[in-house]
Amino acid sequence: MSLAIEAVNLVKVFGNIRALDGLSFSVEPKEIFGLIGPNGAGKTTALRIFSTLLLPTSGTGKIFGLNVVNNAAEVRKIITYLPEEAGAYRNLSGWEYLEFMAKFNTSDKNLSQEIVNNAAKITGLGERLKDKTKAYSKGMKRRLLVARALMTKPKLSILDEPTSGLDVLHAYHVREIIKRYVKEHDVTVLLSSHNMLEVEHLCDWVALLNKGKVVAEGKPQELKEKYRSENLEEVFAKVVGFA
Amino acid sequence: MKIWKKFSQRLLDLLKGFGNFLLKELKELVRDPKILLGMIVVPLIMFPVLGGIINFSIQSAQEQAQKAVLLVVNNDGGTWSENITDYWRQKFSINVTIVNNIEITNETAAELLSNYNTTRFIEIPKGFSESMNGYIENKTTTATLNFYEVFTGGGVFENIGSSLIDALAYQFNRAVAPDAVNTAKSAIIKGEIKKGVDPAALASLMTSQAIALPITILILLTYSMQIAATSVAMEKEEKTLETLLTLPMDRLAILMGKLSSSIIVAAVGALAYMIGYNYVLGSFTASIPGDTGLDLVSLGLTPSPFGYLLLGISLFVALLSALALAVIMSAFSEDVRSAQSLIGYIYPFIFIPALALMYININTLPLALQIVLFAIPYTHPIIASKAVVMGDYITPILGIVYVSAFTLIVMFAASRLFATEKILTAKLKFKGLRRGRKALTQEA
Repeated sequence: MSLAIEAVNLVKVFGNIRALDGLSFSVEPKEIFGLIGPNGAGKTTALRIFSTLLLPTSGTGKIFGLNVVNNAAEVRKIITYLPEEAGAYRNLSGWEYLEFMAKFNTSDKNLSQEIVNNAAKITGLGERLKDKTKAYSKGMKRRLLVARALMTKPKLSILDEPTSGLDVLHAYHVREIIKRYVKEHDVTVLLSSHNMLEVEHLCDWVALLNKGKVVAEGKPQELKEKYRSENLEEVFAKVVGFA
Repeated sequence: MKIWKKFSQRLLDLLKGFGNFLLKELKELVRDPKILLGMIVVPLIMFPVLGGIINFSIQSAQEQAQKAVLLVVNNDGGTWSENITDYWRQKFSINVTIVNNIEITNETAAELLSNYNTTRFIEIPKGFSESMNGYIENKTTTATLNFYEVFTGGGVFENIGSSLIDALAYQFNRAVAPDAVNTAKSAIIKGEIKKGVDPAALASLMTSQAIALPITILILLTYSMQIAATSVAMEKEEKTLETLLTLPMDRLAILMGKLSSSIIVAAVGALAYMIGYNYVLGSFTASIPGDTGLDLVSLGLTPSPFGYLLLGISLFVALLSALALAVIMSAFSEDVRSAQSLIGYIYPFIFIPALALMYININTLPLALQIVLFAIPYTHPIIASKAVVMGDYITPILGIVYVSAFTLIVMFAASRLFATEKILTAKLKFKGLRRGRKALTQEA
């Protein structure tokens, strides 16, 4: 069985800045894989390359055997991407937004309706889905967007800071959505997060990024044991030499 | 006393807060190069340029009228016809060329104009001297001078000849006898003499009608550019663009969707505007046809169905090029405000041709200025609107070819921008590398 994601020596240069500096990692299918690291470590750049938004300066990125540069259109058919700072169309209702997004995946009306019904359940927003998204709180909007990213049962869902800026309850709800849905529908997830606790709770495998490259990776439990740390935060500090 | 103290303290607090806030606002506005350029520098350049073009046009029309040879067809041959031409020569120091005994028909008029390379002539009709004598003796008859001028559909300054003949007749009357000589004006439209149609009145009627189209084009272009730029910038500002670009659809579909929706909304807006504008215009021009007795339809001065078709195509391609340009420019901005400031740089290229060509015939301008105006794509629908009325289809067709080529290049650039990461990473760097680096750091 081919790997879900394969990153080989990825480099991305913006002007004088080397955002990725030989990034390599691989993700098994049906795995929740977390990229963690400080601001500017290159997490978002890596996710954007796998979402076909950015082109790598050098190196190779593959998703289920498809090259993200040469087969970008094919890649877009099997992935969904949730940016860290994503919005929904202000003047569409939550329901209309989901319908709009579902139509890109199927022209079958019944199937499209099924996808939207499924997404509605994931959001847990109930009747509020009929309201325009401009009336939503940040947490409600994020739940809508996470549902959008998962509703089509993509082979790979790329989630950039899925609980960014959410309060404890909304963050908990979003994490539960991801965990449950991924296991039920065999979706592979590549996510990034600042929140080490979140990553410990969610991910099967994590890669610690610093200055555009992976400095350590493994199962959260194994990493903690290896670095004799109580949590991933401590692991990270030890790996990059703060502690 | 206590109340006054409280009030003055409140006022002081207010002024302090207001002053501080005003200073901050001014700093922000003045330091924003897009606002500085768009609001201050561009108008400072645009209006003098426009004024210069209009001034030049008036001057050249006046100079041409003065320099031109006054062609006189003398079909009278009597004393008074000699008197009047001699008087003109002496009084106005103008170069009068006289040809004798030509019956004025469509064919002879065309030949005369071509031979003497002019656009107007005066006919002293048979019986002019006899009528003058009759007037001098017992004021029973008045003499008439016939004036013929080719109508080119151009601006108001072009038909200066019409007022010239009035001046010539008026001065002669002052010298000889009041109201002795009248003028009968005729316009030569598409090679055909239209008796009793004053070219100046016709030009002013045409101009009043012709203003509607450039204004509509101006409104349509600026509205639709605003809509297109806003809709792209909105995707960036509301953070929906990234998601959109990762969906399983051709990115060209996003571009086409943006362009088409902008055209539809702009067209509806333009239609609504035109309905309102026509109502206002109607109230202005309602009296004009009654006064002048001019009927543009019977004079053949309305476009044919083919002319309308060309005009429509010309407008459409210009609109498409403007929208594609707006989309490209908005791709370089991070939010709606900066997108609208950016497209402000295109407005002078829409305003100058629209305003200038309301009053000026482009052919009367010097070649260099003509080339500049022809190079601006938004000039062409306005030129086409005048050309199709005069039955000239070559000019609009050439314009359509040029604007289509321009549009294709811009559309290609726009599609390339949407197909690559540039749509996300492109930013205009007004303050050089410092800001550019900041943007790149955020990118990582």
